[in-house]
Amino acid sequence: MRKQTRGLDGRDGQDGQDTNRIVPAVLVMLACALSWTLASAQQPALRKVEGPTASVTSQDLREGLKNPTRWLTYGGDYGNLRHSPLTQITPANVNRLVPQWQFQTDTLGKFEAAPLVFDGVVYVTGPLDTGWALDARTGRQIWRYRRELPSGLIACCGLVNRGFGVLGDLLFKTTLDAHIVAISRKTGAIEWDTAMEDFRRGYSGTTAPLVVKDKVIVGIAGAEYGIRGFIDAYDAQTGKQVWRFYTTAGPQDPGHGTWRGTDAKAWEHGGGSIWVPGAYDPELNLTYWGTGNAGPDYNGLEREGDNLYTASVVALDADTGKLRWHYQFTPHDIWDYDSTQMPVLADVTLGGELRKVVLFANRNGFFYVLDRATGKLIRGKPFIQTTWAKEIRADGRPMLLPNSVPSEQGTRVCPDQSGGTNWMPPSFDPSLGLFFVTARESCGIFFTWKDDYTPGEAFRGGAVQRLGDTQSSMLRAIDVTTGERRWEFPYTTQSWAGVLSTASGLVFAGGSGNVMAFDAKSGKNLWHFQTGSSLYAGAMTYMVDGRQYVLLPAGTTLTAFALAEF
Amino acid sequence: MSRTAQRLAVFLAFALGCVCAHAAAAQDRSAPRPELRAATNPLEGNALAISNGAAMFRNRCAGCHGPDAHGYLGPDLTSYWSAGGTDARMFDIVRKGVPGTEMIGADPLRVLDKDIWQTLAYIRTLSAVPAAAPTGDAVSGERVFRTNCASCHRVNGRGGQLGPDLSRIGSARPRAGLAGKIRGSSDVIRPGYEPVTLVTRDGERIRGVRKNEDEFSIQIMDARERLQGYVKANLTAITFDKQSLMPVYGPDRLNDRDFDDLLRYLTSLRGATETAR
Repeated sequence: MRKQTRGLDGRDGQDGQDTNRIVPAVLVMLACALSWTLASAQQPALRKVEGPTASVTSQDLREGLKNPTRWLTYGGDYGNLRHSPLTQITPANVNRLVPQWQFQTDTLGKFEAAPLVFDGVVYVTGPLDTGWALDARTGRQIWRYRRELPSGLIACCGLVNRGFGVLGDLLFKTTLDAHIVAISRKTGAIEWDTAMEDFRRGYSGTTAPLVVKDKVIVGIAGAEYGIRGFIDAYDAQTGKQVWRFYTTAGPQDPGHGTWRGTDAKAWEHGGGSIWVPGAYDPELNLTYWGTGNAGPDYNGLEREGDNLYTASVVALDADTGKLRWHYQFTPHDIWDYDSTQMPVLADVTLGGELRKVVLFANRNGFFYVLDRATGKLIRGKPFIQTTWAKEIRADGRPMLLPNSVPSEQGTRVCPDQSGGTNWMPPSFDPSLGLFFVTARESCGIFFTWKDDYTPGEAFRGGAVQRLGDTQSSMLRAIDVTTGERRWEFPYTTQSWAGVLSTASGLVFAGGSGNVMAFDAKSGKNLWHFQTGSSLYAGAMTYMVDGRQYVLLPAGTTLTAFALAEF
Repeated sequence: MSRTAQRLAVFLAFALGCVCAHAAAAQDRSAPRPELRAATNPLEGNALAISNGAAMFRNRCAGCHGPDAHGYLGPDLTSYWSAGGTDARMFDIVRKGVPGTEMIGADPLRVLDKDIWQTLAYIRTLSAVPAAAPTGDAVSGERVFRTNCASCHRVNGRGGQLGPDLSRIGSARPRAGLAGKIRGSSDVIRPGYEPVTLVTRDGERIRGVRKNEDEFSIQIMDARERLQGYVKANLTAITFDKQSLMPVYGPDRLNDRDFDDLLRYLTSLRGATETAR
């Protein structure tokens, strides 16, 4: 495959390097390559690979965890259930789970990624735009990828990445300097590199890609810096942009009238980041993405109106990027309630009727059930204490509570700006109808001031003072047929851990550095292991050589657990 | 020079150029940024800056410095300028923090230079409380400290470690805050010093301060300064007390003169080097 770089103007090229100087260098390199080829030709021929070479197809992605030994997308499957059919590890034997190997990144920062596993190899991205292929049996490194990052990166919330996407022999990832790159699954080498936006204006990439058919779908982060958010699709083979959907409605878009207020250009720097991947329904050919907060975060005076399509879920035609429907969780968001949680697609029986739904535990504190084909609200119910809105009305809009607008004097609102949950992915067990989510109870004092938009500078219009004595965190199991809480397990400290469940009736989550296993039905804690670092991602599970592993990122370490063999 | 040699020379020059460019880029990243901030507050007296700064102050500063900036956990800020403080030094304190205290530096990605100047513009509008002439005798206060406090508090390497190190307490706390703590009217307990009582399965009661805790274990320093962890499954009770382990020193235990001397001593503590001067 031809290596390509693509600048912001869409030109293929060498990023302005002087070709006159490159030619002699290339000649020298060619000479080296030629002598190496001649030398290797004298060696015995390589052993021929028997059978078809394993490669990830779009059908594999569509089938998700039908082959449960592997894990090919951030959420495990297109519905993001994070619910594995593997049953070797059970509530009865989980107390025999012991570490098998560990891998340390040798970087600062932390893992927020979901590792992928295919054909006995783990593919995972780390902080500071790194990535690795690891032997799934031993954790030994096969290759390492590391991007040379420019200075002056602008990222509000850690130099993190949430993982690879995969198709064929290519891995895809977003970069902190707002590019999307394709990497050879065999070598870790860059195959193509396309700029999505200019990082110096506050744009950055942290989401894991969602690969649909022949396209790589991603989004952009940076709503704390006055970006205009978007969801992009790129051709998986060439890196060429196929479509773009802007998450703030421009003058040509139907929702444009929802940007009023004193700043006529508010939509141009209105936020709507995408930093957690979406979901895909192959039958409807719709891809679902949660969108981030409106900007500036807390001061809504310059952007009165609902501010579509921020703090929403949008359902886009996967081929064209055209908006099919949207549902806005937090109209006119002034609390930094990003809706970048992972949408979970499920088929559940509600009122005796099988419904295709989107399940969404939102940062604003409500748990939503939406019709997946139309976006119509089926139910919205708080899963934590909320004081900004009391309930979600039948027409889908929140019933706002008084005294909840951020102010110069400060306004107490629950939850605080980190919300009822955040980026940590939940899981859904369809056989039990239980949705497991890391929840937060919290309140904060929301302050506003006036920020002028300057490209690349913080654009928040206020800040929040967390109220420490109001904060607690727990794993909650929500019955999706009623929206009621079935059980909870309280953590001692704030947890940012994602959740994994398995068909054997286990839930893996954790807090305070402990990875824990719970009985999915009762919430009883069955096992724990202290990893030594806070958890900022969720566990995943795979199988190799007939042995089930649970792989957990914690801090800058990956730990693979399996049942002890005596 | 032959053509090949020419090409080689060009290549070497190019390669060297690359290396140098990389080195320069690396240096650029590691080298300290030049001081760009102004020497005096460019936004002083600016009405919008003052109103923005008021909200920023309430959000980011008032928790420690008090809603009127007259000091609470952190020092009084209103008399800073009348005592000879400069805008530039205050800016640097906000940006870099004060080592050894709870005052952390402001992250440049979150708090712009402009925001700091706006906050300072607001603080300057607050009416300064005329600084009371310091009373008490620090030398005598140190004796009071050695007698009453040093078994639990350390200053410049001497003293106990059950309570917080006070070597820089004069930079971190205003006199009123220290007075409240000693006389027992303040319920502030620094993280890492929360009093806790554990009861073991055989009925032993262990009093100490909490150092850390998770769902399955707790780590404490007990009253004899023994660091120890306990597995919760082996404990029958864990009780967090509201009252600090530090006794209340009312007028019956510490007369007003000794109290005054002790406060003079404590407010003079600015860290080993500064105190030595």
